[in-house]
Amino acid sequence: MTIELEKVAKSFGPVKVLHELDLKVKPGEFLVLLGASGSGKTTALRMVAGLETVSSGRILIGGRDVTETLPKNRDVAMVFQSYALYPHKTVFDNIGYPLKVRGLDKGQIAARVKEVAEQVQLQAFLDRYPRQLSGGQKQRVALARAIVRRPVAFLMDEPLSNLDAKLRGHMRAELKHMQQELGITTLYVTHDQVEAMTLAHRIALLEGGKLQQLDAPAMIYNDPANLFVAQFIGSPPMNVVTGELTEGKFSARSQAINTKFRRSHKKTVLGVRPEDCSITNAENGKFRANIYATELIGDHVLVTAKTDGELLTIKANKNFSAPMGATIGVDFPEDRLFLFDAETGVRLRA
Amino acid sequence: MKLFEPAKLGSMAPASKLIIYGLLGLWTFIVLFPLYWLIVTSVKLPIHVADGPVYLPFVDYTPSLHAWRYIFVDLGRDTFRPYLNSVIVAVLSSILAVGAGSMAAYALSRLEFRPRLISIGLFILGVAGTVVAVTLAGVNWRVAAAAGLALTLIVIRAARGVPSPELGNSDILFWMISQRILPPVVAAIPIYVMFQQVGMLDTHFALIVTYTTVNLPIVVWLMYDFFSTVPKDLEESAELDGASRFRVFFEIVLPLAKPGLVATSLLVLILAWNEYLLALFLSTANAQTIPILVAAQNATRGPQWWYMSVLIIIMILPVILLTLLLQRFIAKGLLLGAVKG
Repeated sequence: MTIELEKVAKSFGPVKVLHELDLKVKPGEFLVLLGASGSGKTTALRMVAGLETVSSGRILIGGRDVTETLPKNRDVAMVFQSYALYPHKTVFDNIGYPLKVRGLDKGQIAARVKEVAEQVQLQAFLDRYPRQLSGGQKQRVALARAIVRRPVAFLMDEPLSNLDAKLRGHMRAELKHMQQELGITTLYVTHDQVEAMTLAHRIALLEGGKLQQLDAPAMIYNDPANLFVAQFIGSPPMNVVTGELTEGKFSARSQAINTKFRRSHKKTVLGVRPEDCSITNAENGKFRANIYATELIGDHVLVTAKTDGELLTIKANKNFSAPMGATIGVDFPEDRLFLFDAETGVRLRA
Repeated sequence: MKLFEPAKLGSMAPASKLIIYGLLGLWTFIVLFPLYWLIVTSVKLPIHVADGPVYLPFVDYTPSLHAWRYIFVDLGRDTFRPYLNSVIVAVLSSILAVGAGSMAAYALSRLEFRPRLISIGLFILGVAGTVVAVTLAGVNWRVAAAAGLALTLIVIRAARGVPSPELGNSDILFWMISQRILPPVVAAIPIYVMFQQVGMLDTHFALIVTYTTVNLPIVVWLMYDFFSTVPKDLEESAELDGASRFRVFFEIVLPLAKPGLVATSLLVLILAWNEYLLALFLSTANAQTIPILVAAQNATRGPQWWYMSVLIIIMILPVILLTLLLQRFIAKGLLLGAVKG
């Protein structure tokens, strides 16, 4: 089923936390709302769930206008960051609660709960209470409770952020597999770009209550709409140098490089990703820089270099080594650089 | 052995142990001695009470069950009727107070109320107007009440546009608990007059209504705190699972607030069970409760300590038993592992 947000906005008093948001989640799609805290992503999700009122605009689920509908009548399931398991109920009763509320008889509930418990490998824990479970198991119970009644949509509010790093990676894969298998439309909120990149069919990147870009993960990464998106996605973040563009020539203080852009622009930001940069000798590079620090990550060396007071990060070969302060050249292919307007952050295109 | 140093971490030094357990023992004695005194007095003859203190039955004096026989056999029905009255009044008023009070507390902890000061003022004005109409103008009180209410509502609605400061949930909460700051004796006479007017003095109904009203603020105040500790996520999750607000309250919130509910119920039950002043005003014979009966033993022939002791023992017995029975609920941390972990 589709989830549609039509010019949905939310204000708390004078504070506008979400500006008119237009979003359409396709049937069976895994759409991730990505953003830092305060970006309005959780508010948007809670409005779809019905836990938050809408200041203006409409929300449609499966074509039905649910803007004024109570949460219980929206037929969506939500997984909370805290899992929100009922502490006084066993795992069995937790998973079976949505069915019990719907008035299914005991036999049906038992059959469905067993089936779902098998899917998330919880068969052995059905008699336990939430306090007797590990974090990963609790997470599974929360998932099982969401899928047991086959809702029209899943809403997930940072479901993995309470798990430790290793388990998080594992649950991420499970989540993706399960969503694919069930084919249920999913709206997923996270601040973690790795989660967003790996899970999403499409990412909606929010900042300051405004949608910055809505696109497939690869497009968000390779073709960012503005400076914010470019810097938000990617680890380590994109290198930026401020300067001026004159007839395709980008100049930043003492240095200048030629670009393919055939235009002029006053305050310009040049961006290039660390993995597109390479280190050459001082004469050949596009930028001349001094080594500030080198960090061995394992499969590569992260080199930080200083040029004209700005720090650049370069992903170098794992065998690279150089003394601190050594002068190097930083090179990158011309087609891998991005230009943005320094004031609005809007991407400049050739 | 060192006298002033603990043998290991987490234990006490012998000297501090001695002092602390000595103090605790002394306090235990102070607390339990009146109970002991009640028991031994209940088996004393009047002469043993009158001729200065004697402490040990069988040693200092020969115990006698005369007081017990008098209370249970001679008085018989006159003991059991007040006892039953106490049970009925205390249990029913506690159920009503806890039921209504916890729902009010839940609403206060979850919904935002913004009563306007002007509406409250108009309501008070409406009540005053009704009273004036009944007492001075001689209007039939039913007509006056209905007309007053309707008029008040219309005026409040008409005054919607008028700017006025708003109150919040905490103001409502404070207003409720402020009802308990007033000494009950202030309210006793108006309550007496009210029930006299409607001809309901000396009935269970009058006592139950009064006790429920008096205990409501305590229930709201205590349960508000317990409900505030229930994570909102749980309720939102239940709502999305398809539960109605009442279902959320009864199936999710109340079970989680059970320790608080038990403690609160026990407290108001004991308050109602022990209540003396209002019962003195409102009950004479039919609805008389046990505390009144106890005090009555002091009436015509001077204090009858032996009968009083028997009555007090049977009066405090159910409270002690109930507390022992329910204490495991009161300390239980059910919320452990509710979220995160």
